[in-house]
Amino acid sequence: MLLLRQQSRQGFDYLYRQYSGALYGIVCRVITDEETARDVLQEVFVKIWNNIDKFDAAKGKLYTWMLNLARNTAIDKLRSKGEKMQGKIQTGEDIVYKQEQELRTEQKTDTIGLKAIVAEMQPEYKTIVELAYFKGYTLDEISKALDIPLGTVKTRMRKAISLLRQHYNT
Amino acid sequence: MDIKEYIESGMLEAYALGALTEQERATVEADIAMYPELAAELAAIETTMHRLADEQAVPPPAFMQEQIWNALNSEAATQAPPPAPKAIPLPPADTKQRQPSWMRAAIWAAVVVSVLTNFMLLSQRNKSREEQAVLAAKVDSMSATQQELTAMVGAYKKEMDMLADPGMQTVVMRKEGDTKMAGMVYWSKDKGEAYLALHNLPMPPQGKQYQLWVIQDGKPVDMGVISNDMVTKDGMVQKIPMTVASGQAFAISIENEGGNPTPTQVYMVGATS
Repeated sequence: MLLLRQQSRQGFDYLYRQYSGALYGIVCRVITDEETARDVLQEVFVKIWNNIDKFDAAKGKLYTWMLNLARNTAIDKLRSKGEKMQGKIQTGEDIVYKQEQELRTEQKTDTIGLKAIVAEMQPEYKTIVELAYFKGYTLDEISKALDIPLGTVKTRMRKAISLLRQHYNT
Repeated sequence: MDIKEYIESGMLEAYALGALTEQERATVEADIAMYPELAAELAAIETTMHRLADEQAVPPPAFMQEQIWNALNSEAATQAPPPAPKAIPLPPADTKQRQPSWMRAAIWAAVVVSVLTNFMLLSQRNKSREEQAVLAAKVDSMSATQQELTAMVGAYKKEMDMLADPGMQTVVMRKEGDTKMAGMVYWSKDKGEAYLALHNLPMPPQGKQYQLWVIQDGKPVDMGVISNDMVTKDGMVQKIPMTVASGQAFAISIENEGGNPTPTQVYMVGATS
């Protein structure tokens, strides 16, 4: 942490060694295009580097902060690209259609790791984690896209995470 | 607030998965700050997210480390936010930087209004929570009072019923030379049932207890020690656990704690009729 605040090369190397894989992993889950994913990763490190002194340890763990930064930056990029390409507001049906396609491609491009962990997770839980965490959908959007009540979305989120918690024993 | 219900709702998971609106996030963060149980639960969820991220890690291409370090340094030199060279041409990023000043002013105004509104809502909510807690405490004490009253009414009812029973005789035990204190035994000779109530008896000295006796054929028979609790609950009627088939008198003595097989210091006596 001190090395990071000093903004030394040593600090950067440590940061990169420790976290680049995890951060790039998240970015790649959100953005499939490799070139864009690399740009986003760079943007994420710039943000971490410039905001490290603003990071409030009392508010949460450093790792959580960085993961969220990576995820949010990637989703922002996805949105700005998606909007440009589609050029229209998504309707609920569009979302479902798009999401089905995404899921199909995801099943193909799933990394071995994710498959191993989430294989035992039923699709209804997996989809919700995918939509929320990797596609940036809000509760309301997920509820509309999957046509299930808001409360069910939340309880499935709880169930999904608790399955992961069991898996990792956390 | 029901913490367990809150945790079960999945709201913390939704927060960790980034599925909340700004407003909802602010609310959850306020809740977490206020309730340590929620913070602990969220910490466990976040640890899970860390594991997930660890396991899904994808090493970036090797050249990225150097490229990013260079970007960071040119960043520091210019102090301007330059995205990666290839990212610059993206129009959305550009328009953002060239926002007219009125637009910026409008955004700032909106942000300020939103922050103020949140703050107001939060303080309002805190206030109503406090009020709710005060009301809950009031209800609690009222229901406690009510329970006491119900018990008291029940005791009086019991006493009345016993007095109304024609087979029930009332034996008043008196201390010599005292008119205020009384030990009352309600005794139904036919049923062998007896009840005791104390009126205005002082607490026995430290290490001592009252003990009840029935005198049968001139001999005192132990009817058990009287709990100090009963002395405190003046007038409370309690059934005597033994069967009393006969007796010429009832008596209360003062004994060492736990009682004695024979009375040593008789305190008050009352003859049966």
